[in-house]
Amino acid sequence: MQNFKVILLICSLLTGLNLPAQENMKRIPAGSYKPFIKGQTENVNVEAFLLDTVQVTNQDFLEFVKANEQWSPDKIKALFADSAYLIHWPENDWQNESETANQEPVVNVSWFAANAYCKWKNKRLPSLHEWEFAALALPMNSLDSNELTQINHSWYSRKNSTRQTVGSVYQNQYGIWDMFGLVWEWVYDFNSVVSSNDSRNKEEIASGFFCGSASLNASDASDYVSFIRYSYRGSLKGNYTTRKLGFRCAKSIEEN
Amino acid sequence: MKTVISVLTALMLISFSAQAQQGKCCSPSSTTTKENRVQLPETSIYQLDHQWENQSGKSIQLADLQGNPVILTMIFTHCEYACPMMVNDLKQIESQFTDKHSKTKFVLISFDHERDTPERLSEYAGVQGLGKNWLLLHGNAEQIKEISLVLDISYEQLENGAFAHANKKFVLDQNGIILFSQEGLQTKAEPVLKALNKML
Repeated sequence: MQNFKVILLICSLLTGLNLPAQENMKRIPAGSYKPFIKGQTENVNVEAFLLDTVQVTNQDFLEFVKANEQWSPDKIKALFADSAYLIHWPENDWQNESETANQEPVVNVSWFAANAYCKWKNKRLPSLHEWEFAALALPMNSLDSNELTQINHSWYSRKNSTRQTVGSVYQNQYGIWDMFGLVWEWVYDFNSVVSSNDSRNKEEIASGFFCGSASLNASDASDYVSFIRYSYRGSLKGNYTTRKLGFRCAKSIEEN
Repeated sequence: MKTVISVLTALMLISFSAQAQQGKCCSPSSTTTKENRVQLPETSIYQLDHQWENQSGKSIQLADLQGNPVILTMIFTHCEYACPMMVNDLKQIESQFTDKHSKTKFVLISFDHERDTPERLSEYAGVQGLGKNWLLLHGNAEQIKEISLVLDISYEQLENGAFAHANKKFVLDQNGIILFSQEGLQTKAEPVLKALNKML
């Protein structure tokens, strides 16, 4: 990894250009959007950044775990991941690539493990605003904003969905695959309060996340799918792992 | 390259810990510190091994608190309303301390890595009249995020630089295990004292 960074650095010095978009990442242009829960009309600005085109796979994650044994199912500490961590990997045979290393999104990973993976890749988890902004993009070649809603509805209503590989549901107009339809994704600041209020009153803060008040504050009260996503995030803790939650990494675009 | 860095880091750590042991050779808590750290329970929040700076600018790890009962919360010093109330709640608890509480530490971790420098924290401790058993900690954005996650404290930085945040205080045992947590402001001291006294 260090060598790779040195090579990249030399390349960028030689060419005198900014680092190009990394392989398997796409540039998300700067923009602004209205978050689902703000209780107000203001937009949030998002700077341009790089985002992985697909979610991190079991194969990717196995490589990470083999190189960083403190994140292996045998060594992980309970503070950083609950007992279901990587539970879908064969218990005594997870090192076996033919059993574990597939192209399905890795799930049953905690925020701490996801964060450590991205750092190992010299990347980071996307912020909540970055993720939401990138996820707004319509499917490639689509002009119909209902299409995203339809993807979400069919995803939510699918029972015991069959296992699917990354890059299989839809690609959006930034070239990013499967923001919806495969598994939920960790974001860096999933525990942010997302409230316009100051810290005057804990009731105000807690209310941003939960049922009644959340739908009243929502920028689009009919946006039920977003409501579910925000509520879901609000229910997570840093060491939680579930079989429907994976992640992808992001990277800031460095200015020179 | 990586190997060189690891070796250097290891050497630095070895010399550092040797110094630390020399420096505090005779205090009973410090001689056991290193051993105990290895045996930290898996759910101890002291598993987070970040370096923090206290209000005197001294670098410390949470695990340095091992051996002391701890009351911990997260605040920021530019907070005008909630945080002073939280600090006040903690002072109320302290006002009911007796001799047996002499080893108990109060730990305030700041959300505000930009403005809450050790100097600022020291100033705040002065204004608030916080004694020697109070530690005010400054860290970087990443370690603040990680400690907030193990404590399950939601927060968000607002455009004006302030933080919206949950108000929670914790009682930690000598190994950094959370024994008790209490949400809210202007809360009763009794439940906290009760949790604290159970381990004394």
